[in-house]
Amino acid sequence: VYDSFWIWPLALFALCFLLGIVAVIAGIGGGVLFVPIVGSFFPFHLDFVRGAGLVVALSGTLAAAPTLLRTNLANLRLVMPLALAGSICSLAGAVVGFALPVNVVQTSLGVIIIAVAVLLWLSKASDEYGHRSDYLGQLLGLSGQFHDPAAGQHIDWRTRRTALGIAAFGGIGFIGGLFGLGAGWANVPALNLLMSAPLKVAVGTSGLAISIINSSAAWVYIYRGALLPAIAMPAILGVMLGSRIGARLLHTMPSAAVRRIVIGVLVVAGGRALLRGLGIWS
Amino acid sequence: MKRTDPQDIYARWLETGARAVFVFSLVALGLYLSGVLSPRIPLQELPKLWTLSAAELMRQADTPGGLGWLRLLGYGDYLNLLAIALFSLLSLVCAARMIPAFLRSGERVQAVLAVLQVLVLLAAALNLFPGAR
Repeated sequence: VYDSFWIWPLALFALCFLLGIVAVIAGIGGGVLFVPIVGSFFPFHLDFVRGAGLVVALSGTLAAAPTLLRTNLANLRLVMPLALAGSICSLAGAVVGFALPVNVVQTSLGVIIIAVAVLLWLSKASDEYGHRSDYLGQLLGLSGQFHDPAAGQHIDWRTRRTALGIAAFGGIGFIGGLFGLGAGWANVPALNLLMSAPLKVAVGTSGLAISIINSSAAWVYIYRGALLPAIAMPAILGVMLGSRIGARLLHTMPSAAVRRIVIGVLVVAGGRALLRGLGIWS
Repeated sequence: MKRTDPQDIYARWLETGARAVFVFSLVALGLYLSGVLSPRIPLQELPKLWTLSAAELMRQADTPGGLGWLRLLGYGDYLNLLAIALFSLLSLVCAARMIPAFLRSGERVQAVLAVLQVLVLLAAALNLFPGAR
């Protein structure tokens, strides 16, 4: 029995190392892959998978955020109102998640993950960022500039539809807290398509926002006993190490092909979660 | 970016904190898995317990609720839980540091947002939010 303990944390570390590499190359967070895959194919109860998924996303974004802030790819002033709404709703989502029957959470997770796969498949970036700021955006000072080395230019940007963006982050935070997801898959379109932040700023700012939003929901999982160190720690270390390798491989790997594989994996894992939740494939 | 800019201050505080917590978590994990610090829940019992819901595991393992786990930091598994909790505390510390930084740069609305963020994260960390118990 003692031997069987070691198999699962080691397998989890290896899987998370791989997820860390793939997530960076595909341009998504590790949390959104972690929860459906580990929840579907490992023997852990969904409570512990959701808790570990939340801190996997948290630790990865905490490690990346300082560099993103220094290069102006993450904007602190833009994050402040979004993270506030997100962290309140993330807390609520986590509390609701523990009040629901596990088959309802599992079924909803399957639906959400398949929707994420569709969103990743269909989503296109917007590079329209020269709009006039709205009143709330001006009041909060939600504008900035950054140097894009790929385009070789300085880009000035400001947000619009700020109130809608804050509301969207509330909704995304709720889903993230409920399922233990990082939610970069939804934050980036909300920032880029809804609020008109440039794509690179949207990606960087989403990471910083996740680091704050998941911090609030993580406490619910701690107090509900849903963070088992034997599951969470190998997952955190695996994703952090894998992300470093992924960042080095980023320029040499065909990211479009990797992204298509990730979408396929999400459909399979989401489908498995859905069938498991409905009691069809347990 | 100026070193007094709130964004730069946040980056510095977060970087220092994240590095320190990462090192702490590595040490804590080593002490736990090597058996130097014995766990409260024996490792060989985990495969039976991690298939249960969190509430059921707490019942079977007789785990204290709320802030009670802070009394168990002498065990390897709870020292690792502290490492995870410290990751969760970093944003609270950085948000608190932003209050004087934004006030100094004359951004009062952002300072108010930082105060509200600290209150939310503090309520979460102290288990004071509605529905927590």
